[in-house]
Amino acid sequence: MPTPKSPTPETSTPASAAPAGGASTGTAFTRAIGLATIIGMGALAVFGLFISPADVRQSDSVRILYIHVGTVWVAYVAFAVTALSSAAYLWKRTTSLTWDRFAGASAEIGVLFMALTLLAGSLWGRLSWGKFWVWDARVTSTAFMFITYIGYLAVRGLGGSHQQRARRSAVVALLAVLEIPLVHFSVKLWRGLHQDSSVADRTHVTLHGLMLFSLFVALVAFSLLYVWLLMHRQRVLAMQDALDDKGLDYALQQRRSEGDA
Amino acid sequence: MDLTPRPAAPAAAPKQRNRRKIMSAVLLVVVLGAGLFVVFKGLTNALDYYCNVDEVGHKDGCESGRQLRIQGVVDKGSIKTDKGITTFDITFNKVTIPVVYDSGEPGGLFQECIPVVVRGVMKAGVFEGDDVEVKHSNEYDAKNKDRIAKATVEAKTCTQSN
Repeated sequence: MPTPKSPTPETSTPASAAPAGGASTGTAFTRAIGLATIIGMGALAVFGLFISPADVRQSDSVRILYIHVGTVWVAYVAFAVTALSSAAYLWKRTTSLTWDRFAGASAEIGVLFMALTLLAGSLWGRLSWGKFWVWDARVTSTAFMFITYIGYLAVRGLGGSHQQRARRSAVVALLAVLEIPLVHFSVKLWRGLHQDSSVADRTHVTLHGLMLFSLFVALVAFSLLYVWLLMHRQRVLAMQDALDDKGLDYALQQRRSEGDA
Repeated sequence: MDLTPRPAAPAAAPKQRNRRKIMSAVLLVVVLGAGLFVVFKGLTNALDYYCNVDEVGHKDGCESGRQLRIQGVVDKGSIKTDKGITTFDITFNKVTIPVVYDSGEPGGLFQECIPVVVRGVMKAGVFEGDDVEVKHSNEYDAKNKDRIAKATVEAKTCTQSN
């Protein structure tokens, strides 16, 4: 947003490449990431649907794995970034609202992708377990984490000043991120219906070579999509904050003119 | 928009404020620790989704006569279907329990040599199931490999214990 000078330095937007006359959240960087995302998703479709083999027991339903794991990967990363950004905001004398907006944007993306994880998992569960939903430790803890982060977004919307929003939500984010290890290790801590991980924290990967590579493609493609969404969303949030501040300036002006009269 | 000036925060001595901060942080850690302890120690049985076949009647929470979920591998050649009633045997740790399931076709990947979780009640040595869920493993392999590889996978499935 190039036009008005915003009152606080934090709310000035980084969208320097915006065309004159209109606000844009795109830059050369996001366009490059966007292009890479499209190529990555195309590659994932080819590998996931055609090149990777069907599973010996699950047949074609195993292909849901690439979406299920890819989306939950983004959710985990997004929530971790939310926590790190929140910590950076709370760190002594940082209190930069840019960190807060990164935290908020990342959490929104995380919630979206966790919803997709639950949806893909539900369809996969119907095909392999015979059930859309079960209350085992992994599924329940994932649902719990999903709801926690919806709560985080609600806390962000409570109102007050930007700094108040940032401080409150940062504390919630730092507590909520502790659920990631709980969800991840729930399959080891408790007996459930959900299978154990096939790649992470094990010495022997229990995934056929081409399936493993397709999963790798999925992780790269979804990570690129995450970065693209995060950059855009963070800039939109900066614009919203700037708009709020303009409203505040306007109200202050009104008050002052009342005093003058 | 409320623009009334905020009342100044009561200024505590900085040292006192620091001590209070540390105290509340310690309290938070203690509360979190206690919460985790309760979850891990107290609720582990409740959080487990099933009892293994060999634990029925031996482990706390796995008493026969009450509603249970039991887990075991479906024995090779034991599945029989007759008038909507499916019978099969499930085995875990060399203990076998016969299952009668009368709620239609078990869904999902139900087949022999695959681990399943059956919900129901143990009655006179037979487990009367009303719900069957398939607990597939975390192993994935290509479908159209040569038959020897497939046979190895199947043999492994029927003996796996996790």
